[in-house]
Amino acid sequence: MITHQLIERIEGEAVLDFRCDKSGRIEEANIRFLHFRGMEAILEGRSALDALVIAPRVCGICGHSHLIAAARMIENAYTNAGFTFTISPKANAIREITLSCELIQNHIKWLYLVMLHESGKLLGEEPSVALKALYVSSQVNQLCALFSGQWPHSSYALPGGVTCDPTHIEVMQALKIISEVERFVEDEVLGCSAKAFEGHISSNSLLSLGGDFGKLLRQMERLELLDAGKSHGRFLVLGDNAGCIANGVRGAANSALVSEDSSQTFAEGGDTYAKNALYNGEFYETGPLSRALVTQRLGITSLYQHYGDGAITRLSARVDEIVYLISHVRFLLSSIDLSQSSFTAPSAIESISGTGVGIVEAPRGSLIHKARIEKGKIAEYSIITPTQWNLGNGTSDMLGVAQKAMIGAESIAKASLIFRTFDVCSVCTTH
Amino acid sequence: MKPLSLKISIMPSKPAKLKIIWLQGITCNGNTHSFLNDPSLGVLLDSVEFIYHPLLPCNLTLQQLVSKVPKSDILIFEGAYKGDFERAGSEMEELLIALASKTKHIISMGSCASFGGIFKEADPEHISGILFDKENERGPLKKMREKIITLSGCPVHPKWLSFVLDMIRFGKTIAVDEFRRPTELYAYLVHNGCLRNEYFEWKVDSEAFGTKEGCLFYDQGCQGPYTHGSCNKILWNEISSKTRAGTPCLGCTEPSFPKRELFATKTYMSIPAEMPLGIPKRSYLALAGAAKSFHIKRLEERLLK
Repeated sequence: MITHQLIERIEGEAVLDFRCDKSGRIEEANIRFLHFRGMEAILEGRSALDALVIAPRVCGICGHSHLIAAARMIENAYTNAGFTFTISPKANAIREITLSCELIQNHIKWLYLVMLHESGKLLGEEPSVALKALYVSSQVNQLCALFSGQWPHSSYALPGGVTCDPTHIEVMQALKIISEVERFVEDEVLGCSAKAFEGHISSNSLLSLGGDFGKLLRQMERLELLDAGKSHGRFLVLGDNAGCIANGVRGAANSALVSEDSSQTFAEGGDTYAKNALYNGEFYETGPLSRALVTQRLGITSLYQHYGDGAITRLSARVDEIVYLISHVRFLLSSIDLSQSSFTAPSAIESISGTGVGIVEAPRGSLIHKARIEKGKIAEYSIITPTQWNLGNGTSDMLGVAQKAMIGAESIAKASLIFRTFDVCSVCTTH
Repeated sequence: MKPLSLKISIMPSKPAKLKIIWLQGITCNGNTHSFLNDPSLGVLLDSVEFIYHPLLPCNLTLQQLVSKVPKSDILIFEGAYKGDFERAGSEMEELLIALASKTKHIISMGSCASFGGIFKEADPEHISGILFDKENERGPLKKMREKIITLSGCPVHPKWLSFVLDMIRFGKTIAVDEFRRPTELYAYLVHNGCLRNEYFEWKVDSEAFGTKEGCLFYDQGCQGPYTHGSCNKILWNEISSKTRAGTPCLGCTEPSFPKRELFATKTYMSIPAEMPLGIPKRSYLALAGAAKSFHIKRLEERLLK
């Protein structure tokens, strides 16, 4: 018998179809997404620059990543068409700051609104609104807005740089905010300094952490889920610091090996709108865990050696990324040279014909925007989102990443919680 | 014991929290996340209660919302409308109408819910706002127009929403414009309060993106002078706005959003094709001609040397 489970609070909904054995253990899990908006078709026929306004509206929680991906796609099309132009280190640093802010606020919301909330509910608690987490997320978004004008749905990155021209006033305000965010993370999330957190990871004592992350791990332990959720152990990063890991071997990543598989979609007689994203013909995990392993961040790498890609490693990687990004943003803010130009005007967009690819490490992993441009107009647009990698719906002989992680779980409720460790986003998956 | 109970009964009772349902049509969740940016969210949640919300903890699951179709004080609808679009197996044609007829106030949250917005572009024939389809009043809730408040914008500023919720809570009448947008929020233009106003007055255009100087209306496509919204009065994320970050206003609060060629100003004989709101072309040309005939050295130099 198949049980259909509606999963909500994931930027929309998904349906999970479970087949269980007599004890309730998951034998089969299928992932379906039932909403589709047609973003790519909306983009086609427009000026390529309009993508900087339309593309962020793919998603309310990671729209900034879509903006940067679209900007890089157009820049790549310029380069492929034989035009050279430079982006100043300042403009690049500002883009990296705002993008990092989007990741930080995303991870904080996921930790409090999704993981702490859902694991608490499963243990019979009724968690209240995590106001402190929402407040600090709004602070992170404010830091972003100092440069991008607003969050969500800014269009401040253009081919050639950024529209803002900040002064030291914005930089100093931003430094103050990042210190406040750091204080929140240390006091509330970790219950210790970032350095002590590193120590907890390497000495394998995360369960004794005092903060809310420690609480989450203990809740997961009570649910006997810390070790659950293992998948293929194949990891992919296609954006900055690209690389991949398969069979324990780290290597370079080549975006030419990416393909989409639509065999499960309604269009081809299936029952979901989501297309699967494949690398070298196989399912790979993307996101914070992949980024930590591919860049060999010490703590998470040793945690992975201990526990493999189980829930404890996947959860810790996302929290560790918050810690890493806070220090990265501070470094970028401290080293920015405001005397450089914000924007270098490229030739008119109408002079561009050809294809462009823009890849960004978004909160949930590698995000790809690809387009064919004809005389400045979008002839074809294709988006592959991180959740298409992680939440792909395969077959029994070739399971998707989250699918494999759910099989063997003791109950539907536990499998659904494992599903959420991947940080699910419905609107992105189908776009 | 009696005097005590008497005392309790005459104490003013705490007013009941307003019951809100937040329903989504075809959406990106942008208004939901914009709403979460409200730094006074905690205070707001002391006076309202979400029976259903797509992200915040609430009493009902989506499945329960759809099967119970409960009464509410306020229905917030985010996203574009399409009759056969489903949430938890229930089509908007039924679900939205049913929830709308069992509520006292309806807030059309964002430009998709208000006019169709970006998602209308995918299927213009079948997708619209709940009251307006672009600027035409022919949405599915047109019979309930009097209880609808339109909050257009992509996204809506969290303070615009909390203002409307407070006005409802205090029983105040909200004055509205022809699209049922609160005039206290939308009588302003995005142009009002823009830091580049002086450049507009003296017709000094911005030569390129990424500078502090010059007005973005002449070349870069800024729609601020004819777009309704208090973006430069009630700042975004408490601190900035598109134009303050050098980005042109994209006209996201208007039924015409999204227009095309958004980063270029359409001109006619090198005059912007669309005039600042309510300004006759002749008046504009007279003033522009006069302003351009002067060279104001200060405005032609960099602001910070």
